Amino acid sequence: MHEEEALIHVAIKGETLFHLGPIAVTNSMIGTLIATVVLASLAFWASRNNAVVPGRLQSLLEFPLDFLGGIVKAQHPTRWRAIVPPVITIFLLVLLANYVGLLPGVGTIGLHVVEDGHEATAPIIRPASADLNFTLALALVAFVLFVSWGVRANGLKGYLKETFVANPPYMTPLMTPIHIVSELSRIISLSMRLFGNVFAGEILLAVMLALTFAVIPVAFLGLEMIFGAVQALVFALLTLTYITLATAGHGGGHDEEHDTPHGQDADDVALRAGAH
Amino acid sequence: MDLTPLAAGLAIGLGALGPGIGLGLGVSKAMEAIGRNPEASGTLFVPYVLGLALTEAVAIYALVIGLLILFV
Repeated sequence: MHEEEALIHVAIKGETLFHLGPIAVTNSMIGTLIATVVLASLAFWASRNNAVVPGRLQSLLEFPLDFLGGIVKAQHPTRWRAIVPPVITIFLLVLLANYVGLLPGVGTIGLHVVEDGHEATAPIIRPASADLNFTLALALVAFVLFVSWGVRANGLKGYLKETFVANPPYMTPLMTPIHIVSELSRIISLSMRLFGNVFAGEILLAVMLALTFAVIPVAFLGLEMIFGAVQALVFALLTLTYITLATAGHGGGHDEEHDTPHGQDADDVALRAGAH
Repeated sequence: MDLTPLAAGLAIGLGALGPGIGLGLGVSKAMEAIGRNPEASGTLFVPYVLGLALTEAVAIYALVIGLLILFV
C-alpha cells in the first residue's frame, strides 16, 4: 500500500514456494502435509501396541475419541459406528492444522521468492486452516458427507422430495430456493468460519509480537490454543449436526408428526437437534 | 486521501457490535441455566458451543469483508 516497511507482513492467500511440474506448491500445502504426517504417524505409533488398560499416551489419544464418540452416540444410538470416524477425523485434522500455526518459526522462517516482479519473503510453513483452499475443501467434504447420509437414510427420492417439494405443495416455488440456498450456504459458513478464525488469530499474534515485548504475546498464544481446539470442535459438531438433520428428515413417513418443521431456519433446528 | 483502512475498520467494528451483544446474551443465559441446575451443564455443552459458533460466524463474515477491503 505504501512505500515504507509495513509493521507486519500479511498474505491473504498461500504463497507459492516452488513448482513441482504443473503444480504450484504453496506454503499452506506444507502445513497440511505436516498436520497429516503427524496425525498418521501418531495413529500408527499409538495403535502399534494397544492395551486394554490404556497407558498415559494411549489415554491421551483416546480422550477426543471418547468425548466425540459419546456425543455422536447420544444423537445416533443406532448408526453411530458409521458416523463417528469422519467426524473424529475432521476434528483431529482441523485441530492439528490449527496448531501447526503455533509452532515456533512457522511464520518467521521464509524463502526468498519473486512475486509480481519484486522480491518477497514467503514463510516456508503456513497453518493449513489459514488458507481458504483447505477450509473450503474440508467444507465440501462435509457437504458431500451430509448429503450422502441424507440419501442413505431417506432414499434418493425421499431426499429430493425433502429438498425440492415443500409441505404444503403450493409453497414449493417459495421454499425450494430457500432450501437450496440454505444447503449451499453451509459450505460457505463452515469454510469462512474456520478460515476467518485461524487467519485472524495469525494476524493477532503477529500484531502482538510487533507491538509488545517479552512475555506478553505468550498470553495470546494460550488464547489461540483454546480457539484452535474450539474451532476444531465446532467444525466437527456442525458436521455432525448437519448429518443429524439430513438423516432425521422424513424417516417415519408423512403421516408421522416430526419435530423439524418445514420452513424453519436450519440453524434453529440444528440447535434443538443438538439438545436431544 | 485513501479511505480504504477506514472502510475496513468500520466493516469489522460495526460488524462486531451485533455478534458481541448476541454472544453476551447467549453466555449469560447459559451461565444462568448452569447456576440454577449444575447437573445440566453436560447436556448444555453441545448446543451452547454450536450457538456461540453460529453467532460468532456473523462477526467472522464482517472480518472477512474487512480483510477483503484491505488486501484484495
